[in-house]
Amino acid sequence: MLSPLESPLGKQLRNYACVRITRMDNVDIGLFEYDRNNTLYFFLMNADEQIYMRYGGRDGRSPDSYLNLDSLALAAAKGLELHRQYLGGALAKTARPKPISPLDYPMLVERTIKAHACVECHLIGDYQNLHREKDGTLDKLVHLFRSPDIRSLGIELDVPKGLVVKEVSGPAQSAGMRAGDRIATWEGDTVWTFADLQHRYDKVPRTAKTVRVTVERDGAMKELTAALPVLWWRTDTRYRQSSIEPRSYFEDRVLTAEEKAKLGLRADGFASFVKYVSSMAQSVGAHDLKVGDIIVSVDGKDRDENADTASLYIVLHKTPGDLATMEVLRDGKRISMPLKTIRMSFRK
Amino acid sequence: MKFAAAVILFSLASYAQGNHSADDIVWLDNYQTALKQSRATGKPIFLEYRCEP
Repeated sequence: MLSPLESPLGKQLRNYACVRITRMDNVDIGLFEYDRNNTLYFFLMNADEQIYMRYGGRDGRSPDSYLNLDSLALAAAKGLELHRQYLGGALAKTARPKPISPLDYPMLVERTIKAHACVECHLIGDYQNLHREKDGTLDKLVHLFRSPDIRSLGIELDVPKGLVVKEVSGPAQSAGMRAGDRIATWEGDTVWTFADLQHRYDKVPRTAKTVRVTVERDGAMKELTAALPVLWWRTDTRYRQSSIEPRSYFEDRVLTAEEKAKLGLRADGFASFVKYVSSMAQSVGAHDLKVGDIIVSVDGKDRDENADTASLYIVLHKTPGDLATMEVLRDGKRISMPLKTIRMSFRK
Repeated sequence: MKFAAAVILFSLASYAQGNHSADDIVWLDNYQTALKQSRATGKPIFLEYRCEP
């Protein structure tokens, strides 16, 4: 059995200056920008602060859906190759992003740094969003729904092999992607790892209709354009609950076309079936929803271009603390129900 | 979180095996020190962000 030091990754890491950071107090979060709800995140870089690649990324299934020691060893080997190219002048230097300090966010300073509490990664993202909300720059589609899921494009990676495609279906298959292809660029930028890809995908404007991808197949590069599915940016946010506000303490699902037709609801509306109600809903006085209710509208709105459920409409259009009125179908009757959206206590 | 545990093993093994040589993996906990070491040795930097193990 190989000891870690004698493993492929161990052998690669001997050629690096390795550093592990567990507090974000003094981190340049402008240079090291990433989705703060990752459990682990790596940067392979040099002393000029040129980042060769990232390693990490996740989805709603698990924190380590895309983490694997084999693919990390591959990344580490590629990082060494890129470093040799950089030292030899074969790799162009890129502009350093503007530095940003956690100290630039007064509420973060007040509530964590001054309180000597751990400045956890996700707190950086949470307080950045709180400040964005206050100064009017919060773009919920971008800042709340981070790290789009490539599976909505029909791409399943062979995770130990990095960006080699294992299975393909849907829009990616229609675009010409095949199992065995290695994804080489995303929207024109070179990607070496899943983290590179997910970080670049996150930068795609939410109004985009297509995404450009280059794949390496049999030694040749092939350009593809994949159609982005409706609501492609929407991700499972349950693992980042503390980053998503307002809270309304229920979960719902999209009604099928047949269910909408049967109930006489518009086909393109966001009417949704309530499938879970948290006990918190009553204790904080959020609403009186029950499992089985159907939310037809919120404040008279029953359709939205970015929402296919009432809960998503509320997240996208309400500020924590807002009051609203829902129209609800219960036992065949339409009732009007007040909704109080909630801000989590630690963010008040 | 098997992956996180596996990565931690690398640092534990580095210390536990003793008899450190120039080839051993030494995990720093300071970014500026890593930059200095990288400049001094010509090695690239492998930077990990994570919660306290």
